[in-house]
Amino acid sequence: MKRHGFVNWIKHILSTIDTSHREQAAGLTEFEARELENIFVLLLMGSFTGIPAPPSFIAAELLPHLQHEIKVLKFRAENASDSLAEMAGLLGID
Amino acid sequence: MTTIVLVVGLVIYVALYMVYGKKLERDVVKASDSNKTPAERMYDGVDYVAAKRPVLFGHHFASIAGAAPIIGPVLAMAWGWVPALLWVWFGNIFIGAVHDYLALMASVRYDGKSIQFVAADLITNRTGKLFYWLVLFLLILVIGAFGAVLGGMFVGSPAVPSAYILKLVAALILGVLLYRTKMNFGLATGIGVIMLALAIWGGTRIPITASYGTWMVVMFFYIIIASAIPVNVLLQPRDYLNSWLLYFGLIIGGLAAIFSFTGFSAPAFTSFAPIVSGGKATPFWPAIPLIIACGSLSGFHALVGSGTTSKQLEKESHGLAIGYGAMLTEGFLSTLVVVAVAGFGLALMTDKGMTISVAGWAKEYTPAMMGSYPKAAMFTSSYAAMVASTWLNFIPTEIVKVIAGMWVASFAMTTLDTTNRLGRYTVSELMLPVKEKNEKVYNFVTNRWIASLIPAAIGIYLAWSGNFTILWPSFGSANQLIASIVLLTAASWVVKRQKAKPAIVLVPAYLLWITVTASIIWFTVVILPDTIVANPVTGITVLVIEVIMLVMNFVFMADFLKSRKKTLAPDA
Amino acid sequence: MKVLFFTGKGGVGKSTLSAATAWQLSQTGYCVLAVSFDPAHNLGDIFGVKLTHKKKKFTKNLYLQEIDLETAASEYVRTNVSLLTEVYGYLQSFNMDKYFKVLRFSPGIEEYAALTALEKILKNEVSKYDYLVIDTPPTGLTLRMLALPRITLTWVDQLIRLRKEILNKRYTIHNLKGKYEPRGVQLAYKEEDDPVIRKLFQLREKYSEVNDILQGEKNSVAIVFNPDYLSLRESERLIKGLKDLQFPLRVAFNNKLTDENNEIALEVEAKLLSAGCPKRIERVPLIPHKGISGYMIEHNLTASFL
Repeated sequence: MKRHGFVNWIKHILSTIDTSHREQAAGLTEFEARELENIFVLLLMGSFTGIPAPPSFIAAELLPHLQHEIKVLKFRAENASDSLAEMAGLLGID
Repeated sequence: MTTIVLVVGLVIYVALYMVYGKKLERDVVKASDSNKTPAERMYDGVDYVAAKRPVLFGHHFASIAGAAPIIGPVLAMAWGWVPALLWVWFGNIFIGAVHDYLALMASVRYDGKSIQFVAADLITNRTGKLFYWLVLFLLILVIGAFGAVLGGMFVGSPAVPSAYILKLVAALILGVLLYRTKMNFGLATGIGVIMLALAIWGGTRIPITASYGTWMVVMFFYIIIASAIPVNVLLQPRDYLNSWLLYFGLIIGGLAAIFSFTGFSAPAFTSFAPIVSGGKATPFWPAIPLIIACGSLSGFHALVGSGTTSKQLEKESHGLAIGYGAMLTEGFLSTLVVVAVAGFGLALMTDKGMTISVAGWAKEYTPAMMGSYPKAAMFTSSYAAMVASTWLNFIPTEIVKVIAGMWVASFAMTTLDTTNRLGRYTVSELMLPVKEKNEKVYNFVTNRWIASLIPAAIGIYLAWSGNFTILWPSFGSANQLIASIVLLTAASWVVKRQKAKPAIVLVPAYLLWITVTASIIWFTVVILPDTIVANPVTGITVLVIEVIMLVMNFVFMADFLKSRKKTLAPDA
Repeated sequence: MKVLFFTGKGGVGKSTLSAATAWQLSQTGYCVLAVSFDPAHNLGDIFGVKLTHKKKKFTKNLYLQEIDLETAASEYVRTNVSLLTEVYGYLQSFNMDKYFKVLRFSPGIEEYAALTALEKILKNEVSKYDYLVIDTPPTGLTLRMLALPRITLTWVDQLIRLRKEILNKRYTIHNLKGKYEPRGVQLAYKEEDDPVIRKLFQLREKYSEVNDILQGEKNSVAIVFNPDYLSLRESERLIKGLKDLQFPLRVAFNNKLTDENNEIALEVEAKLLSAGCPKRIERVPLIPHKGISGYMIEHNLTASFL
């Protein structure tokens, strides 16, 4: 029983380290993926953002499939003005 | 002695974490798992994703760990190892870690908004804007300070720059493996670590000798180019390799310190004001926070903690381990450094033929240290000596030196190009008011390359011509100024939102503010004039920055005092 | 099917020439559909018949049609609204779908509508006729309308590029972390699973087709101008616009020539040639009478098109 507990404990530690490493390796890519999704939707929803938009039927046809991206748009819009600390954290200033 | 001090340090940290840290958690932050964190409430899979405590700890610790906790203590040894340790231990526990922890929790309670946002809310909008300015100055000064460290190290230890260049190649290859070929993660990691080891070994085989000036130019171009390349080409794989370097360095260093059993050859206490900065007598108070920053207190950490960590906190109870605990861990790292230098520094400097004795330490340490082992190299040699004195001496000392040197170099270089990326953003934010008035100027300054050039050019220039013992404290001054503002903001949060007894925070906050302000004034008035004479452009640049920061600091204090009277609208 | 566009400033006689060309081609034995996109419809007047949005048979070989841009715009809006109503169908329960009607006033509806009408004709009539002769609207609208397929293509290409990047990054994350499911939603990371990029590919194909037709061998653009300085500026603009769009300018018609304006005619031609006018310039003399059988003129217009 005790040996099992110890082995499991080691396994747990190793898996935590593994997760941690994967997070580290993927972290910035995740940020980039999200931001690209944000930009994708921003480009389509030109009238929302005041930028010249693509022919409107493109947006209309793609809209139903972009639910995730629109959520991204909403959340990033809320936090866009508060990005200094986030950038510092993401880029690992220290 | 090394072992004893290390164990004592560990015990003090753990004990006070339990007593003081928990007290903060209970009475001030009033952390409770029934309060859902933003990661839980606002889970959007975008920014707000709960991370498991150990994973988040690792992430946060890696973000705040850097080169500064190593370099600072080396300089601070001029006071003797007791004062240095006092600051690393108690400065950390009662001020630094408190600062980190409260910044994190305040941000958590503010839905993950940054400490900048919190300050703008609790004090005034102007304070929020202040952060941009201070960060910009900080970026410039950190390039100057770290640039000087790196320049000195590259010149003094030619194996390090070549190892670093090889590591960059390894990072590029790893980047391709991980992000282009989508190779199995474990396999790619393995290859990456092996390449890292090869880079370190390779560095010793083919050292690159170049002049200080050459390295300055190389670094300048490196900064510009590296901050323009996509992150998954260089930055991400490089940072990933760095984290492995950090682990190995810590493990080896920790083991070496514990098993070293060496007595301290450095004096415990030399003088209240030995020669540290600019060849002048540097009083322990108020100057120590300028010398040892990240090991015990650092404004950077508040940005990092409130920028990403707060949005990923799974439960409020995790905050203590992560915010408070990670800082203590970094303090432990600085303890390691103090121990290494205290144990081995004297012998190393004497070997190099420097004039150094226990009796004359106060006057002789800084010149001897700078003469024999420019800046960080003292650490690498002490570290190597410490490792060599234990059963770990099967690792060739050359290699250990390069490992230690790479450790410092990797983190310092990372900061350099991060600095530039942030610099572009900060400059464009600051220039927004100009946009209305003069669009041409705005467009010019925020042009991608110009905005990149400004911090890099000024920073490298400072590094090139400047005196390291001037640049380091000036970097410290910007950093600690941010820290003192953050701590006062946290105190404000405790008063206004927490409605808790603020003394536990307010007293250190005011003390810190007074200390930092005094230290900047001392630095400007006592140290800078000689620099201006010796090196006018550098001196004036730093002077201008310090004066502006000082003025902003007083404006902030006025705003803060006014805000104390202002009562907030009830929390919705 | 070959397509002939007659472009030019208003009043230069392009409607007459396009009508005459259509007539002459049909008399030669080809099946011809003549369509007018010009809001100031002259086609019906020239042939002496009343024309509508639906094509009308004039002779066995010649069909006529006047595109009503307003109707086209309404149809376009209705299509879009129905798309939105598909997605937000539940709004109909509250009659809130009526708010989508404001789309009718969106900028650019006119050219979308015109292009859509053109696409429809190209698709439906390609097998039925040998020639499609088109009388275009005023310069600005013509250029905007003809530019649309290319603009659309450019946008779609960029969006595809961006989307590929997104998918690539998602694939990387999936590879590193084993899954990428923010908010528990399975996000596609392969092209075959992503409805967005598939739609974009569809759009690209569709507009490539239209663009190929418009820029291809089977398309001819004729520009009509008069021997006077009034039409010079606008003709230059038109020529430049068409060249930018890489539309095949085949022939220019110098229309309403008389003995008096012969000299000016040569000057105007020289200027236009230096602006990029096609070298082949047909000189058409002023026709003394207009109106009924104005589509029957002597000068052979079809030489450049056969």
